[in-house]
Amino acid sequence: MIAPILLAAAMISSPAGPWRAALDLAGGELRFGVIIEDSGGPLRGRLCNGASCQPLSGVRLTGDTLTLELGDYAATITAAVRGDSLIGQYHNVGRKGPRSIPFRAARGRWEISAGGPALLGNWNAWFESGFEQTPRVLEFRNGAAGLEGTVISNSGDYGLFVGRMLGDSFAIAHFDGSFVYLLTGHLAGDTLRGTFHAGLRTQIPFVATRSTGQSQLTPPTAVTRSDTTGAFRFAFPDLEGHLVRSDDPRFHGKVVLVDIFGTWCPTCHDAAPALVRLYQDYHARGLEIVGVAFEATGDTGVDAPLVRRYREKFGIHFPLLLGGVSDADVVSAALPQLDGFTAFPTTIFLGRDGRVRRIHAGFYGPATGPQHEAVVAEFRRAVEGMLEER
Amino acid sequence: MRNPLGPASLFLILSAHSSLLAAQAPPDLERERSDFTRWLASDPLSPFAIVALMPIGAGVSVGPEPSDILIPGQTRGIARESGGGAALELPSGRVVLPRGRPVVYEGYRLVSSGLPGKSVLAAYGPIHGYHPPRYFPYDARLVFTLPMEQPERHGAFRILGLDGTETEAVEAGSVSVPIGGSQSRLRVYRVGDPDRDQESELVIFFRDRTNGQGSYPAGRFLELTPKSDGSVLLDFNRARNPFCAYSTVFPCPAPWPGNAIAVRLSVGEQYGPAGGGQ
Repeated sequence: MIAPILLAAAMISSPAGPWRAALDLAGGELRFGVIIEDSGGPLRGRLCNGASCQPLSGVRLTGDTLTLELGDYAATITAAVRGDSLIGQYHNVGRKGPRSIPFRAARGRWEISAGGPALLGNWNAWFESGFEQTPRVLEFRNGAAGLEGTVISNSGDYGLFVGRMLGDSFAIAHFDGSFVYLLTGHLAGDTLRGTFHAGLRTQIPFVATRSTGQSQLTPPTAVTRSDTTGAFRFAFPDLEGHLVRSDDPRFHGKVVLVDIFGTWCPTCHDAAPALVRLYQDYHARGLEIVGVAFEATGDTGVDAPLVRRYREKFGIHFPLLLGGVSDADVVSAALPQLDGFTAFPTTIFLGRDGRVRRIHAGFYGPATGPQHEAVVAEFRRAVEGMLEER
Repeated sequence: MRNPLGPASLFLILSAHSSLLAAQAPPDLERERSDFTRWLASDPLSPFAIVALMPIGAGVSVGPEPSDILIPGQTRGIARESGGGAALELPSGRVVLPRGRPVVYEGYRLVSSGLPGKSVLAAYGPIHGYHPPRYFPYDARLVFTLPMEQPERHGAFRILGLDGTETEAVEAGSVSVPIGGSQSRLRVYRVGDPDRDQESELVIFFRDRTNGQGSYPAGRFLELTPKSDGSVLLDFNRARNPFCAYSTVFPCPAPWPGNAIAVRLSVGEQYGPAGGGQ
């Protein structure tokens, strides 16, 4: 028995190169890309939605089993290497037991498939989750990787979806190791009908009509409110353990943005570069920004290194503070002047008198295209307006 | 490389042979079961690791004797609901217990869960009393693809889920299952997954004539797989025990109205003196 095993192992080819990968959800195929790099040392890899890739935290080949580790999500993909194909499972663990979704891949890249003009643009959708009807905006456009788009809710977007269109049918997907999202549907005249798939088995039907320009979502500035009768107060330790307070001299008479974020939150990663640019452009004129991180554990020893990595990744020069555990209730308790906190990130705009001028819940990331540009421009206008106040 | 097909074909023969011996369950179900068995045996939040589960109500004390939840150590804390969540008040300060996330305390793990106003606190310690789950032989005749019929009841309500904590559900509809020469109509609920944003499961909690005679007396859970044409896949081989079968710390859900099948369904997870989870 030993000789055949050795022979079989010797025949396994290197997994290096691009792979057309898919998760087989109960209601359809979720396509994404995997790229394995072999430059002599340990294998490395990337997980891609179209042209947008993120590094895998680990890639191991043991015998004919390839293991891809998916970052902070305690998730893995394990697959048997069978020549030019991979067959295996995506795996993660919840409180009710482990969960796995069938995974497969073939060598190469998914073909680029563009969307037709009848689909492109914005749609006002209603998702029927079984519990409630919730409004969403669906966006479709053609990018470098073909049909792409996103799903936008009241608290931000679900990240970049990439996919294909065939006849009147479309499928676009977003898989980042934690979120497993697939949007499928078809055009029927001026109506879009389809299904939003989440995880292996959840299927939420939706119906959408073409947007007339008026969004049906709650405006991001109408989600969370605040007491504006006095100055907005906060006090949290920074990464070095020094308490930073809203009444510190550095904030006195300044315009301040308080950004409530988490390093675990993809939308926060989308918002960080915009805040960094605002700080670069307006700090000299009197803008201060403070990021308050709400993290997985609330334990400084665990959370502070994550926030430090985030600071380095985005080249952040404004203070980042540790707020506690990432839970809407914890945020509400830590910032009691807020009313209706629901979204990470939430950006609180404070005027020179320290009072709240505006609260922006969520953020439209680059996946939303023009909406992203609009929100970045809106942030700039709001900051400029507040800087003018004396 | 004289004959590259040699070893490969030998493997094929061996693997085909061993799957015939294992009989029965298709490979994906076998793998699901072995993953689940490993989770039960080793996960820090395995149902076999639970030591206490209590409604937080006006406050639950956690620590050495005399406390509501006994955990060896020096300090005593009081868990209270606060702002829709829960927090542990300790002499050294206050520790937030975020919903569904374990917080380590004196080597134990505390997890708050449940709906706001009805939070419960669970404490997990070392795994104890573990038995691997056992399964009836696989029976392909108890796999059905069925249309979903309209729900009778509308609006959300609360049920006890698999782990005995209260969770929000809606009636998704019902299915008529042809078993034992007649149709059994079973209610299907959609149950939200508090751990995973946007996700929910179509679930049937059912009773049959094996209950108390080889399967768990209170009934078993079955998660359905929706098909793209609106029908659902029901595989009774996937029937699983509520967590109260693994530890009496978990409350047992009450049977759902109607969902009784008048024959023996000798498939899925077993329960009984031979070590099947009691």
